[in-house]
Amino acid sequence: MEHQRSYIYTPPESDERPAKRQKTDKGHPHSLRRERLQTFREIWAEQETRIQACLKTTLEEADEATQENIVRFVAAAAERDQELRASIPTGLIVAGPSIASHGPYFERLGRQVKESTNSAYLVLTSGESPNLKTLLKNLIKKATSLADDDDDDDLGRTTGPSRNGPRLLDFDLGHLQKWQRSINYRTIVVAIQDSEAFDSHVLSELIDLLHAWLDRLPFVLLFGIATSAESFEDRLSSNALRYLEGEKFDVTQSDEIIEELFSTTIASTDVALRVGPNISRRILDRQKDHVQNVQDFFDGLKYAYMSHFYANLTSIFLRDDLAVKNLPPDVFEAVRNLPSFRRWVGGMLEDGRAQDARNALQSDKYLFDQVTQNVTSGQAILNAISGAALVLTRLRQSLQISQKVPLSSIWIKAASGEMLNSPMLREMMLSVKRMSSDKFLQLLGSLQDLEQTYFPIDLDSYQSKLDVMISENDGAVLKTQHDVRNDTLRTTVVAQKVLLSKHKAALSEQDKAYSELVAQFQDELDQYFNTTFIDPKELFLIEILMYDLKSPHTEVFQPKPRFAVERALAAPHDYLGCECCSGEGTRDGEAALFSTQPATAILYQLYVESGSVINAADLWSAFNAMAGGEEEDDESKTMALFQRALAELRYLGLVKPSRKKTDHVAKMMWKGL
Amino acid sequence: MLPDEILEQLNAEFPCREFQLRQLAALYSPQLPSPSLLVAHGLTATGKSSIIKLYLSLSGLAHAVVSSRECITGRHLLERTTSSCLDALDEHYDETNDRRPYVRTENISALAVNLAKMLEGREKFVLVLDGIDRQREMPHTLLPALGRFGELIPNLSIILITTLAQNLALHKPGVPHLYFPPYPRAAVVEILSLNPPKIFLEPPSLDLYPDYTTDVAAEDDAWLWNRFLGAVWESLSKHTGRDLVSFRNTSMRIWRDFVKPVVDGTFGTRDFSRLMVNRKHLFQIDDAVLDRLITSSSTTTQTNGVISVNSSRAAVKRNTIQHSLPYYTTHLLIAAYLASYNPSRTDTTYFMKHTDKRKNKRKVRTDAGVSKSKHRRISRHLLTPSPFPLDRLLAIFRSLLEGPVPQLADLGTQIATLTSLRLLVRVGGVGTGDALDAGAKWRVGFGWEWVRGLGRGVGIEVGEYLVGGVDG
Repeated sequence: MEHQRSYIYTPPESDERPAKRQKTDKGHPHSLRRERLQTFREIWAEQETRIQACLKTTLEEADEATQENIVRFVAAAAERDQELRASIPTGLIVAGPSIASHGPYFERLGRQVKESTNSAYLVLTSGESPNLKTLLKNLIKKATSLADDDDDDDLGRTTGPSRNGPRLLDFDLGHLQKWQRSINYRTIVVAIQDSEAFDSHVLSELIDLLHAWLDRLPFVLLFGIATSAESFEDRLSSNALRYLEGEKFDVTQSDEIIEELFSTTIASTDVALRVGPNISRRILDRQKDHVQNVQDFFDGLKYAYMSHFYANLTSIFLRDDLAVKNLPPDVFEAVRNLPSFRRWVGGMLEDGRAQDARNALQSDKYLFDQVTQNVTSGQAILNAISGAALVLTRLRQSLQISQKVPLSSIWIKAASGEMLNSPMLREMMLSVKRMSSDKFLQLLGSLQDLEQTYFPIDLDSYQSKLDVMISENDGAVLKTQHDVRNDTLRTTVVAQKVLLSKHKAALSEQDKAYSELVAQFQDELDQYFNTTFIDPKELFLIEILMYDLKSPHTEVFQPKPRFAVERALAAPHDYLGCECCSGEGTRDGEAALFSTQPATAILYQLYVESGSVINAADLWSAFNAMAGGEEEDDESKTMALFQRALAELRYLGLVKPSRKKTDHVAKMMWKGL
Repeated sequence: MLPDEILEQLNAEFPCREFQLRQLAALYSPQLPSPSLLVAHGLTATGKSSIIKLYLSLSGLAHAVVSSRECITGRHLLERTTSSCLDALDEHYDETNDRRPYVRTENISALAVNLAKMLEGREKFVLVLDGIDRQREMPHTLLPALGRFGELIPNLSIILITTLAQNLALHKPGVPHLYFPPYPRAAVVEILSLNPPKIFLEPPSLDLYPDYTTDVAAEDDAWLWNRFLGAVWESLSKHTGRDLVSFRNTSMRIWRDFVKPVVDGTFGTRDFSRLMVNRKHLFQIDDAVLDRLITSSSTTTQTNGVISVNSSRAAVKRNTIQHSLPYYTTHLLIAAYLASYNPSRTDTTYFMKHTDKRKNKRKVRTDAGVSKSKHRRISRHLLTPSPFPLDRLLAIFRSLLEGPVPQLADLGTQIATLTSLRLLVRVGGVGTGDALDAGAKWRVGFGWEWVRGLGRGVGIEVGEYLVGGVDG
């Protein structure tokens, strides 16, 4: 094979074609596609504006403090007397390990800096700065193109060779000096976006050079740091350190931002399409375990929305402006095939409403009315669950329950229908029972700004009642009968044994009245949670209202390339699905060796069993015993198969010729890592 | 200006350099002939460049200074030399030269031609090449050629300023050298005494202390500063950095802390000995002599006394992880550290999950036993990390975690991210484009302290997995 450039592959002929899944469905997967796309766009646009608004507020709030500090720092650097500059003012911006978010951050920072101070702002990334020369060229290019944007009369200025005298080389900072003279910025802010990825030698040289020019060019350096300021400091030469005068700025962590985003998108009380608890959990876990990145969160959410509208015909019912006559019968067929539809009809039959059930099965018009009605009410129920999750979170916060649980996990629990009878809820209700009047006041205050639609308890009446009680009690703190502080322990000694007995202090009139009020509140709250925290999976048309499918999401966002290759080699049947590979006695899932499997797969399994260096002759004899025919003269064909298989393994990067031992190949990859 | 006046002024500005100034004045007087090449050498912060530049500008000689720090390549140096010589001539003779013939200075010969052309028929011209030994990408013919420029251009004299004279390969005998020796103790103290910093940043109100005038304050400042300098030199700078800049930095760093009791009013301005006893901790720790990026003034000025200083240092040390890393990333880093610092043959002892018949012993026979008698063994975590293949990292990573971890592509992404953060460094297989090539080898780019903190964050005591244990 090695002597041939190409060859014609003739597959071994067999009578039967391999078993393949045949398309049996006659339905049109693309029916109403345009409408669904339209619906997706509308609903997603809504979600996106919400995300953008949230990002804008939270990010800006989060950034504001640090950005303001940085801007102030830059402004202070501009104030300094140019003659007295001994060292470059340097801001160390510790922006956290999610390097994907550094770019947008520096962009925002740049806008802020340019707005607030009269500075030029130049960002350098490691990709464009492999060495000092290229770095300087880029720096100059960025600066001078910046000038071209600003004023047009400068366009005629040539940076190329001039006939009039010695020209500056294109990495000479003299260019910057000229540019600075024409524009006269107060400071030139050079931002090194990903300082870790820079060669430390280049950084030290850059600092040295900028310091040399500091008497002519008012530089300010900003370093984006992912790890820590100390480790950054360790990388610089001590000479470079002397030229810098640093200040550190911490940027808010991205997990707080994710939490905020979650509550405004997934757990919001006003969403047309829900993303289910499983996917939400998956998205959040990925953020926690692997990447911390706002953009990824966003992509995951968008993909979930897209999949819902792409693959689910019934999702069309999320549109507002629907009419029966515009909908093809497919849609109703699809609705009738939903598991929740079956449950619903079953329920009707149990209630003895046979006529309704018949209508639902036969009349499209009736079904349409029911569906539209139930979609709206289902949305309201799901929104109520989100609202209750929010209430629960607020209550926990104001009761200062020690174990901090974020809204996201409370919401996920509620959305998967596990909240009722959960210890978390029980614990909360117990502390509501015991709370004293000052806590009660706090609690009412924290719930004050909630939307009343999803929260039926009349807070104002409680507030006024409580106010009256407190004023009657001369402003002292009221306690309930369940308050632990009312319990005292009494010890009595009887026959040389100490007996402990619990004793309740007598309650005052006010306390009694207060206890009643709290009990009433608690009852109402209990009722509210009981009615709201239902299992959404039981809901009719939940398939339309909530997207919670694991399958395409995992494959898209968390692919397993290495696992796929290893599985294909170890268990070719999983992919080929043919008779020859499955074998008779295949233990479930367990890979087994058959002579009928593809040669590469056989060789791979021999490879997996061997040590870190493999004797090629041993491998060959094992392979021959496995795949070779009975006759001796057949060996040449087996050898060809063997060589091809080995070449394929090498191509996959699994083996490498070894120099340690003659006639051996080195094993490069172990299975399951 | 008369030569004597120049010398007087220079001596006032740069004390303790009379000898060098006299030599300069003798060699570069406008009337007398000058040497075609002079090497001025001396360690950093000995006043070489400043003295030469100031002398030349006062003496009224036509001269140009080119700093090698600003030149990226050898060619760059040549180009800059040409243009700064032209600038200098323009300025000195107050005229505008025709620059058209000097468009290019590609190599040293072009420089010779250009310089000869522009200096033809003019008076003496001094060209100063500052820090020529630090020039990046210097062609090796540059220095010998510069040495012979005087033969081609009679009215040019070159001064090379370097730190060490030995490594200048001039290949020319009889070049005059001017040595700037490091300042001795008396000289440094004298120089720094010229500008004593203030004890009181805001002068005490004249109503309360009517007799504490600015004159008295200045006298006190000078008196205390002088004694303080002596103390700093003896206790810190003598052993760590004797040059002027280090000494000044060190002194300035602890000055404000030192005079704090005086400002508070605990001690008088002349209570030097009591002040020393009270503030002796400042002279015992190494904070002041280290060059730090973030000036510690913001962290330590608020504190007082030994304890708080120590605690702030501890805080700095502890604070090395600024942001928490994702869960698996943390484990990957710990695994990488272990892969770098454990010999691979001990992996079976440390990371095998199933219990062997032989009891899984944590004590591993270290190979120190053989060489212990001869050498004192260096603790492993102080050595450079050794490279490891990617699969070993992944294997250790899996054994550190409870339960199975899916083989996600995210793991690869994280390794790539960590590489771009230089927490993992790729050492082998650089030629290939694939970042996760199986043939590549990796190394960690962080130290023991950091990984220990990282491990404690996720509940892993890294020392338990480290061969040979950790002392301290």
